[in-house]
Amino acid sequence: MGLVKGNVPDDGLGRDPAVCPLQPKLLADLASDDPGPRRAAARALAAYPEAATALCNRLEIEPAPSVRAMILTTLIKIQNPAIAARLAALLRSDDVPLRTAVIEALQEMPDSAALHLRTLLNDPDSDVRIFAVNILGALRHADVPGWLAELIREEPHINVCAAAVDALAEIGDSEALADLDTLRARFASETFMSFAIDTATRRIRGQ
Amino acid sequence: MTMTHAPRAVINQITISNEEFAKFCEFFYRKTGINYHQSKKYYVDRRIIDRMNKTNSENFRDYFTFIRFQGSGEELQFLVNAMTVNETYFFREDYQFEALVKSMLPNLARTRRATKPIKIWSVPCSSGEEPYSIAINILEKWDQADQWDIEIYASDIDSKILAEARAGLFGARSLARVPPALLSRYFVSTGEGSYRICDELRGSIDFSLINIVDPMQTRKYTDIDIIFCRNLLIYFDDIARREAVEMFYETMSPGGYICLGHSESMSRMTSLFVPRKFGDTIVYQKPEE
Amino acid sequence: MTLFLKPRTIATAARILVIDDGITMRLFYRTVLEAAGFVVEEATNGLEGYEKVLARPFDLLIVDINMPKMDGLSMLRAIRRDGATMGVPAVTISTESKDSDTLKAYQAGANYYLVKPVTPETLVEVAHLMAGVPA
Ligand SMILES: C[S@@+](CC[C@H](N)C(=O)[O-])C[C@H]1O[C@@H](n2cnc3c(N)ncnc32)[C@H](O)[C@@H]1O
Repeated sequence: MGLVKGNVPDDGLGRDPAVCPLQPKLLADLASDDPGPRRAAARALAAYPEAATALCNRLEIEPAPSVRAMILTTLIKIQNPAIAARLAALLRSDDVPLRTAVIEALQEMPDSAALHLRTLLNDPDSDVRIFAVNILGALRHADVPGWLAELIREEPHINVCAAAVDALAEIGDSEALADLDTLRARFASETFMSFAIDTATRRIRGQ
Repeated sequence: MTMTHAPRAVINQITISNEEFAKFCEFFYRKTGINYHQSKKYYVDRRIIDRMNKTNSENFRDYFTFIRFQGSGEELQFLVNAMTVNETYFFREDYQFEALVKSMLPNLARTRRATKPIKIWSVPCSSGEEPYSIAINILEKWDQADQWDIEIYASDIDSKILAEARAGLFGARSLARVPPALLSRYFVSTGEGSYRICDELRGSIDFSLINIVDPMQTRKYTDIDIIFCRNLLIYFDDIARREAVEMFYETMSPGGYICLGHSESMSRMTSLFVPRKFGDTIVYQKPEE
Repeated sequence: MTLFLKPRTIATAARILVIDDGITMRLFYRTVLEAAGFVVEEATNGLEGYEKVLARPFDLLIVDINMPKMDGLSMLRAIRRDGATMGVPAVTISTESKDSDTLKAYQAGANYYLVKPVTPETLVEVAHLMAGVPA
């Protein structure tokens, strides 16, 4: 009793997993009644881009947060425009934890996500547009400040604009200053909006 | 490996372009999860150039091909050893060891039969101060230690530092926070301020070379009750962190705990775990499913 | 502009934690609430908020709903489940204004629900009401 020596065999560095074709068993495990095999399958499927559709299908009905998280990690690793499209559709879900997890996943696949942003930014639902702005703000892309400035010129909804101002406070440049001023005039009676614009402007000017 | 005879001037001539640096970082990140920003270029370059000299590599391209395709992976291991930050010491962030003996172990003991061992994994363990600190704290401060089989595993990606951990020789800097009474109980003086950890402790810990980014290497760890993963994930980027903590989740038993370094918070990685406050520290618990 | 309401003297200043992933939003809450005499701390997502609530008690939480890592409603549920933290009053402030959203917030454990953007006056009034300090 007390401290005893365990034994796990030694292993070398950098061994690659054996390459083998996608086993139907893995896909079956994704639908197991027990979340353990579902998680294991979700992780193992990272080696098989052809499993992306199956993973997206499962994500839509998967109840366990731990399995969802691992499916999303795998989808981030595989990332492609088709996956981003499936994920973008989930932004309309009423399931708040799922939605926020999906936003984070889309932020991790900038190239694929960028392709769908135009559509999302024109969605009739203002909340979907806010999520699109959240994704846009996290993309590391030189054009993002310009897109955000363009957005606040047209966007009618105050909370969508507020999300864009928030992003500009972090990544905006002096080109956005004029548009921020115009926006201030458009929502002149909203204290929060003036405050947010002042903050963003101050940060952009580096004060 | 013998030192090259290249004179200093020639050593200094090797340069690594920004593009080569980016390519190297991409590769190194994929292998280890460690992510270097451009601001670390000097640090990284110096270590690569040193290894290039030791392997007689003429230019970066040759060396890069060498580490990528060498069958044994030996040079990659040397490079990893040179690149890692191994800084550690005894009783570092010891409020967590306090939480270990006052809360985590008693909680586990309450809900579990004594027939199953309690498994603790210190990863990364660097030169061993952390797993030895865990062992000493358990022996000194957990009154039920005798009633349980406690297995301590300790892993690191750096083979050289792991050899030091196994040898168990420590200097004054590393031992600064060890009270004299414990020093005389668990260490043997080897002169000049150095001490060797007693054989009993040395033999009780299972050290292994593990790259936590490689699922093949980590999957043999199962039913771990407590993980210490401190001061490693800060070097990882978001997705590597996410994968690492998901891997930990899979190796743990339900209700198990994971402790991170003080500047690392799960709140920036994942919501898989439930935060628990024990004394002055927050640790993370894997939910019972 | 009436952003800065008169500071009032609060015997022991009530402590408010604002949990929102927007920088300008957090700064707005902080500026308005500090001007009204409250002590304000910030968290940038639900999980960080939960950790802060565990670490030390607050008199009021101001909670956004859509946040990374852990959304505001999941955070409230976790806080309400935990004996040590369940009693803390919480206001959710979100962009969503459908009845079903309000209902979900109350079910998760919110004591009050506001829709963004809020005015400084409303914020301070609700803070006084909920943090248990007489207005
Ligand atoms: C600063 S030490 C931390 C030691 C100890 N946990 C502590 O907090 O004092 C970081 C260690 O992480 C190890 N390391 C880096 N990348 C690793 C990886 N991918 N897998 C396992 N260990 C890794 C390094 O070799 C180094 O020894």
